[in-house]
Amino acid sequence: MSFEDLIGTEGLSGEEEARLRRVHQLLVAAGPPPDLSPDLSLPPVPAAEADPPEVAFLLRRRRGRALVLALAAALAAFVGGYAFGHSKGKPTAFAAIRNVAMHGPAGTASHGVIRIAEKDSVGNWPMQFEVSGLAPQTNRAAYYELWLTRNGKPVAPCGSFRVNAKTTRVRLSVSYPLKNFDGWVVTSQPAGHRDGLGPVVLTT
Amino acid sequence: MSTTDGELIQRAAGGDRSAFELLYQRYARPVFGLALRRLGDRGRAEDAVQETFASIWRSAGTYRPDRGPGAPWLYAVARNAIVDRARNRTEIPADIPDEPARDAGPAELAEQGWVSWRVHRALEELNEREREVISLAYWSGLSQSEVAEFLGIPLGTVKTRTRAALARLAEILGDEFE
Repeated sequence: MSFEDLIGTEGLSGEEEARLRRVHQLLVAAGPPPDLSPDLSLPPVPAAEADPPEVAFLLRRRRGRALVLALAAALAAFVGGYAFGHSKGKPTAFAAIRNVAMHGPAGTASHGVIRIAEKDSVGNWPMQFEVSGLAPQTNRAAYYELWLTRNGKPVAPCGSFRVNAKTTRVRLSVSYPLKNFDGWVVTSQPAGHRDGLGPVVLTT
Repeated sequence: MSTTDGELIQRAAGGDRSAFELLYQRYARPVFGLALRRLGDRGRAEDAVQETFASIWRSAGTYRPDRGPGAPWLYAVARNAIVDRARNRTEIPADIPDEPARDAGPAELAEQGWVSWRVHRALEELNEREREVISLAYWSGLSQSEVAEFLGIPLGTVKTRTRAALARLAEILGDEFE
């Protein structure tokens, strides 16, 4: 699309038009930024606070060991959280201000609920997503992805997750203005299916 | 005024993980784009991203702010990590071409890589609305009228937003990220 078609040039000074046209050319030359796969959604984790040169990075060939470490860390965090919650005499709560129900296609028993908490001070919406009845992944690289939709189409990714055979609960956070969207869907992303949308398995 | 890349690199050199994470937020996509462009394979490019940030963490202490802003230093670290990964490639090409390649030469590739790096980094500075309209206008394949319909706003508003987003990008790119 031409620069003129994109923004029109009326009302622009010659200098401003040249400036914007230069940015336009840079955008065309640069091409679209790539989508980050779930593996890159978080930065690598430095191994030791006091020793910056020693860094444990999740290279693909080491992911098996990293997965074990991550599971161990998650277990430790869970046990710690559990103990903390019980030490206070009540489970840790999630203060939702809105719940959104999701359901699977007709004839399936899958369902979920998105609990959305108050937006934090920097503009993130914390969410707790609880889902049941989705088929557990048979492949390590497969996952589910939650999306916000506009006109029924998934347009904004909200996080990926895996499930077990029962009920799975994950914490997610999005920074999009939720009022700009009209619904949510969950897609199933098979292994090796990084560049496109998998089938929709839950919808609002 | 947000924290400059140079300041974040210096903080990371002191072991500040939050500064390192902020650098990752700003540069994961530009590094991934550069790696994809040079390596042509998502899996290898993902590894290159990890290696780049490992290098950034390890060598942040060598950054000297008096020698220039942070973005070119980060670009150099990324480029080295990606080149190392490319050198490690063990696959042998199946066919040897008979004719000279028409692909861009090293100088052109470097220039393209730097342009994409700067632009993708600058896009990370836009707010969600600005980034959305740029993405739709340039890379969705939709006309501006279709973008207007998609967003549910008048065509004039789409053009105004696009113009504002371009102006914001011009401001960011003009500052050379610092």
